[in-house]
Amino acid sequence: MDILSLIVNGLNQSAILLIAALGLIVIYGYMNVINMAHGSMIMVGAFVGFVLIDSFNFNFGFALISVFVICALLGIVLEKVIIKKLYSKPTETILATYAISLIFVEIARMNYPISQSMPMPIQGYIEIGNVIIPRYNIFVISFAIFLVVLSLFLFNKTTFGKKLRAINQNRAMAECLGINTASVDTITFAYGSGLAGIAGCVIAPSTGVYYDMGASYLTESFMTVVVGGLQSFIGVVLSSTIIAQGKILLASQSSETWAKIIVFLIIIVIIRIKPEGLFTKERR
Amino acid sequence: MKFKKLASLFVAAAMSLSMVACSSSSSSEEETIKIGILFSETGSTAVVEKTMTNATIMAFDEINAAGGINGVMIEYVYEDYASDPATATEKIKKLIQQDEVVATVGCYTSASRQATLATLEEENSLLVYPTYTEGEEVHPNVIYVGCMPNQQATDYIPWILENVGTKVFLIGSDYVFPQTCNSQAAELIEMYGGEVVGEEYVDLDQTDFSTIIAKIEESGADVIYSSIVGDSNTSFYKDFQQYGLDVEEVPICSIAVDESNLQAIGEEYAEGHYASMPYFSSLDTEASIEFVEKYNELYDDGTVVTVLTESAYSSAYLLAAALEKVEDPTDTDALIDAFAGVEFDAPQGLIQVDEENHCTWVYSRFAQIVDGEFDIIYSSDEALRPEPWPSLLYPEYAETNFMPDWDDPLCYPQ
Repeated sequence: MDILSLIVNGLNQSAILLIAALGLIVIYGYMNVINMAHGSMIMVGAFVGFVLIDSFNFNFGFALISVFVICALLGIVLEKVIIKKLYSKPTETILATYAISLIFVEIARMNYPISQSMPMPIQGYIEIGNVIIPRYNIFVISFAIFLVVLSLFLFNKTTFGKKLRAINQNRAMAECLGINTASVDTITFAYGSGLAGIAGCVIAPSTGVYYDMGASYLTESFMTVVVGGLQSFIGVVLSSTIIAQGKILLASQSSETWAKIIVFLIIIVIIRIKPEGLFTKERR
Repeated sequence: MKFKKLASLFVAAAMSLSMVACSSSSSSEEETIKIGILFSETGSTAVVEKTMTNATIMAFDEINAAGGINGVMIEYVYEDYASDPATATEKIKKLIQQDEVVATVGCYTSASRQATLATLEEENSLLVYPTYTEGEEVHPNVIYVGCMPNQQATDYIPWILENVGTKVFLIGSDYVFPQTCNSQAAELIEMYGGEVVGEEYVDLDQTDFSTIIAKIEESGADVIYSSIVGDSNTSFYKDFQQYGLDVEEVPICSIAVDESNLQAIGEEYAEGHYASMPYFSSLDTEASIEFVEKYNELYDDGTVVTVLTESAYSSAYLLAAALEKVEDPTDTDALIDAFAGVEFDAPQGLIQVDEENHCTWVYSRFAQIVDGEFDIIYSSDEALRPEPWPSLLYPEYAETNFMPDWDDPLCYPQ
């Protein structure tokens, strides 16, 4: 089989995994909230996108931006009403976010019991040699890169990012220095939620939109983030590439099932040897 | 604080009590025949099962409106097994012991059906099972109304080889139903002079088919025979086109795609592919049109009529027909005997429970997907005989109604 086309396909899968995991780096990595609602937020993003495109005739690009805004607003509400009360209580957070995800999934199921189709915004494919690349994949890959660059910029180059990292290193001290930790928390959670929503909207054209679509992305996102290193965008870029390329290359040599088994084994080995993930910044 | 916790506990308890109370339906002073309905309202397969519940209730209401069974009304008791086999075991016990139903229409997955077998046998009760299934199981206390793999494949595969292509790539979801169906398909393909050029199985929630598509391309296949089940079909049909395969050159012939998948796949991606089922809601007969219209009128809940809807509806009617033949509905042995040869003029056509092997004679149909609808291109003249152990793979059972002896432990998982 043509190795080059496998690698190109693998890039697309890596990009999808990366987009799905980005929101989780923010919420889990930076805020230490074990967010079980991440998958359902992806699903919500997909449904919001679907409704905007299907019922309100939004074009795809505009729908993406709107999904980000709507999911971020939803994130603000969730953070203010529920998550805020539960910082430093991980068990309760797991329960609460799991409950949130159940509520979202059931609401979606009530309204759309069967899977819906999101039209493919960019159709067709280009052929380079004998490598076939769907045009939409090119968009997905570029969009993933854009989101990573945007997040890196936001977290490393802006005042907001500095505050966030300060809080992350020492919350009490940051508070003493006059940083409004509550508002930074809210914005961070909103940004993570918005990213998750966008992920759903980007995934939806190729998978369809259905109420339990978030479940598989939840596990995969956690895996990617843990392997990559909790707070490292670059680490997660690397881990999503390893996981997706590994799966595709192994599947081409054996079967899809074996590929998954072997990739999971590799992940276990990585976590065993480097429990902190591939890329972790030194901490004092 | 303590009070709050207590109050919330109390509310939760009250809610669960009221749910239990809701689960039994219309009851009356008169004598009725109690029948159980056992499908899921919640959990992963709830969506599919909702349409089966709807159709079963619709059938029983119709039968009651037409005067019941020999003048006695049917009283149905619905239980939700929450897509969970272990719960199915509990609920079938409850239906039989507490509600004293004479029989139950229900179960969707093979796992849930098998979870009820021990109880059915112990209590000597009856389950009418509507789903199409992989066969290789007959239980004395179960009537199988859905089609067996042989009924989907025996007419379909020769037609595919003659009209679509001879180099076949087999693909399916990774569990027993697709694998059994595909191994039968492989036999038929070889028998009719075709060639299997590849075989792959994927997870139920697979969303990336790029590697599979590459393998299909490399194999030189000119037709794909698919038993991929559920939502991963959406990604499969979309990736098919996205990665440059052409429906004219290598169309997908599915045995597990129905109306509920079509909407999700999207018209342009489904166009031109084929599917095989005993029934499509686009079937242009009076009975079928009436059935679909009535269903859509009664249930505006986002569900669509599929082969499973039709099969659940037929299951209820077959049960009623068998009940009419017995003097005492609670005599399970007599009821099971009464099923032999029982007929129903279903939306798909005249179907009949086999005299011997507890499975049902159903039609073979296949359709091409045109403008988002199943355009039926073949209907068998009459219902085909079910072969739970297909004669192709098990020639030794061809003389014994396509099954081992009833007391053979091979008949069902013990």
